[in-house]
Amino acid sequence: MLAALLIAAFSQSIDSTPARRPPRTIAIDERLAADAHIKLGDRLVVSMTPGGVGDSVIVSAIVRRRADPSEVARAEYRAVMHLDELQSLIGYGDRVDRFAVATRGGVAADSAIRRVNDVAFGFQAFRSRDIAVETSRTFLVVSRFHRAIGVITIVASAIFLLCIMLLKVDERRRDVAALRLLGISSRSIVRSVMVEAALVAGVGSAVGVALGWVAAQLINWHYRGVYRTPLAFALVTPGIVALAVILSLVLGLVAGLLAARRLVHMPALELLTGRHEDRRTTLPAAVQT
Amino acid sequence: MSDADALLNARDLRREYHMGGELVRAVRGVSLCVDRGDYVAIVGPSGCGKSTLLNLIGGIDQPTAGSVTIAGERIDQMSDAQATRFRLRHIGFVFQRFYLMPALTAIENVELPMAEAKMARDARVHRARELLAYVGLGERRDHRPSQLSGGEQQRVAIARALANKPQLLVADEPTGELDAKTGTDMIELIAQVNHDGTTIVVVTHDEDLARAARRVVHMRDGVIVDDRRQDG
Amino acid sequence: MLFHLAWATLTRHRSRTLLATLGVAVSAAMLLDMVMLASGMRTSLRNLLLSKGFQLRLAPKGTLPFDTDATIPDASNVIRVVRTIPDVTAISPVLGGQIHVTIGARTTTATALGVEPAVQGDFEITQGRTPAAMNELVASDDFLRATGARIGDTLSAAAGYDPQLRSFTGRRTLVLVGRAHFLYMPAEQRAVGLPIATLQGMRGADARDRASLFMIRVRDGADVDTVLHRLQAALPTVTAVSTETAMRQVDERLSYFRQLAFILGAVSLAVGFLLVTTLVTVSVNERLGEIVVMRAIGVARRRVVLQIVVEGVAIMLVGALAGLALGLVTARYLNSILASFPGLPAAIDFFLFEPRDAWGALALLTAAGILAGVYPSWRGASLPIATTLREEAVG
Repeated sequence: MLAALLIAAFSQSIDSTPARRPPRTIAIDERLAADAHIKLGDRLVVSMTPGGVGDSVIVSAIVRRRADPSEVARAEYRAVMHLDELQSLIGYGDRVDRFAVATRGGVAADSAIRRVNDVAFGFQAFRSRDIAVETSRTFLVVSRFHRAIGVITIVASAIFLLCIMLLKVDERRRDVAALRLLGISSRSIVRSVMVEAALVAGVGSAVGVALGWVAAQLINWHYRGVYRTPLAFALVTPGIVALAVILSLVLGLVAGLLAARRLVHMPALELLTGRHEDRRTTLPAAVQT
Repeated sequence: MSDADALLNARDLRREYHMGGELVRAVRGVSLCVDRGDYVAIVGPSGCGKSTLLNLIGGIDQPTAGSVTIAGERIDQMSDAQATRFRLRHIGFVFQRFYLMPALTAIENVELPMAEAKMARDARVHRARELLAYVGLGERRDHRPSQLSGGEQQRVAIARALANKPQLLVADEPTGELDAKTGTDMIELIAQVNHDGTTIVVVTHDEDLARAARRVVHMRDGVIVDDRRQDG
Repeated sequence: MLFHLAWATLTRHRSRTLLATLGVAVSAAMLLDMVMLASGMRTSLRNLLLSKGFQLRLAPKGTLPFDTDATIPDASNVIRVVRTIPDVTAISPVLGGQIHVTIGARTTTATALGVEPAVQGDFEITQGRTPAAMNELVASDDFLRATGARIGDTLSAAAGYDPQLRSFTGRRTLVLVGRAHFLYMPAEQRAVGLPIATLQGMRGADARDRASLFMIRVRDGADVDTVLHRLQAALPTVTAVSTETAMRQVDERLSYFRQLAFILGAVSLAVGFLLVTTLVTVSVNERLGEIVVMRAIGVARRRVVLQIVVEGVAIMLVGALAGLALGLVTARYLNSILASFPGLPAAIDFFLFEPRDAWGALALLTAAGILAGVYPSWRGASLPIATTLREEAVG
């Protein structure tokens, strides 16, 4: 009896020898894979400290990171491990940094946040959106900066446009004077100049939008390569196009109007001859016969 | 007249250019000799080539063929820079439309050629004042062209033309933009300038101006058809 | 005379000249700002890093100083090893963390820097003194404002928070002995500085004999790179960073701003150039008659060109001077926007004015002004005199 139990026990021990543990696996991001020339199936050692004792793992996946703007400037490498393996590796114990919780819609999320915070012991629940806002401060700063640059550029363009319109309209002052002397009204002249300005602004806008679109493609191509990210750095949206076109039309029309009004307010004869109204019409006595 | 006394000697001048797809023969083999101190008026209908001839004589245009000698120098063979320097010192220009610098005052306009000839400032201001007084605009020297009448502007132009004591004064329709009375005054002034020793060649439609000259050259269709003295 | 003519021509068309000058001023302001932006961050970061004379830094392996929460173990051993390297004159360990100061019912959390007060390079005392004893600390203005504490007050501080027990750990009683300006902190940061041993003790086992960073001062005249290599050889488990290396890394991260500066600067220069060239072209076209008459009366072509080019250069120069003033104002405004980057040390300026930047911008604008005027003026001055006069008469 005793021998059978021993044999049974021995047999059981043979039968219940633990099956070989499957190798630990790890997923790495494609940047690390490319830089360190790591392929799928490669065996790596991961440790908590450089050169320290670690775990042997096999690369089971190479992943592309999501386009997260907050990480774009950081040249970090990422690895993804099973939670328990990482906890064990770094001696973290049964701890995590955060939980991500999916709920059924907005109302459920609010109620879940409330309940978690009521009963939570040492942690707090947040909406993902609120966290995104908080971590987006860097981009708010960059947006403000871009907007400021944009405003300065628009001011510069407005001055530039006004100057050019003034020059071009001024160039034709004799023609304008002749028209007025022929009886064409100032109103017609102003209208004609404004139509011209609108056409120039319209064509300029179209060219500008095309150039802007090309520039956006170039910017995205360049920075995606630099930062190795699928993020879009420049976007030309219908709203932006509409704003740019409207702004340039308005600026063009205003510039044309100001330039034209300046011309039509000057006496036509003065425009034609370039002489001021106070010129003398008699010769000095010394040369009068 | 002999070539030795001639200040200006133009031989067989031709000038052709293209305009609107057509070949225009503005001057077709003109020879003209002008003595020092002479006063020549070139007259003719519009388009006869008289202004073109004047431009060739004055060195501001290049002949297609022929030669122009002034004070012994072949100006038709000069480079642009050489011709410019020559004009500065030896030829004075008066244009129909005055072409004063509108941004400069009368005295500054007169000073301009002297400044280019590197005359010292004091000397050129002094001479400019003299010239303006000579043409009767002493008190108007600080006025800008827009503040002067047409006649006054033309007087300033004449003063400017005389700034570097040129041997030859060429004038293209100097009374063309002036009224009759002002034109008369201008004719007298030009005659005075000639009387004081400057050789003058003037192109004009103005019969009074032509009559004031000592010699009248008639042109038609790019050639000289008549050339006669009318001294006295 | 010709300069006078150029000036007279410009003042004749006042509104046109004024507008063009204004346009150039805005372009010049933008150009100056971009020149400042291209080098400002780099220069101010270098100045900051070298402000206390520490040329080298040791950080946890693979990181930049305070880039992560990682710390370097065996800090005392690191100090011992570094001191054996010739040319090292000082080593300053720094441990970062948080402390929670309770005054009454209110708890204020602040960033804590544990330092060796005798050699530290992280803060400057503005009032009071540096901590001399283990139970002393100094604090930033924002901390003092938030807590209402004053120099001489005794504060109850804790380094940790146990979420399970909802209680603070690592409590100490510390005396506030000074007000300090923290060099590497963002503006409006609540911060305290205290002896590193105190902070290590407060943080408990996690921080025993650990440091976030070591700052190292090298003997004057010594080769910093040689010391760097020696450090790397002696301490392979940390990353040694020289000022140059740190700046290179920051450059990479902020290369966007340099590139933006280059592109916008080039566009500004191009706009200024276009403005002047348009002005000069229109001006030349308007007075072709005058220009050829100047040639007719004997003014040399190059002097005619010079007179017209001078007009363009004058607009550029006056515009540039106005642009300099405008540029400094806009730079200040733009800098105030970028200075609000989270975590950016208050001492960092993106737009730093250096006289050589102004000279550089001025030189570029002058060159642009010359080029802008040369072609149209040369073209105008080269027209055949007689033909142009004829066309002017007809026109």
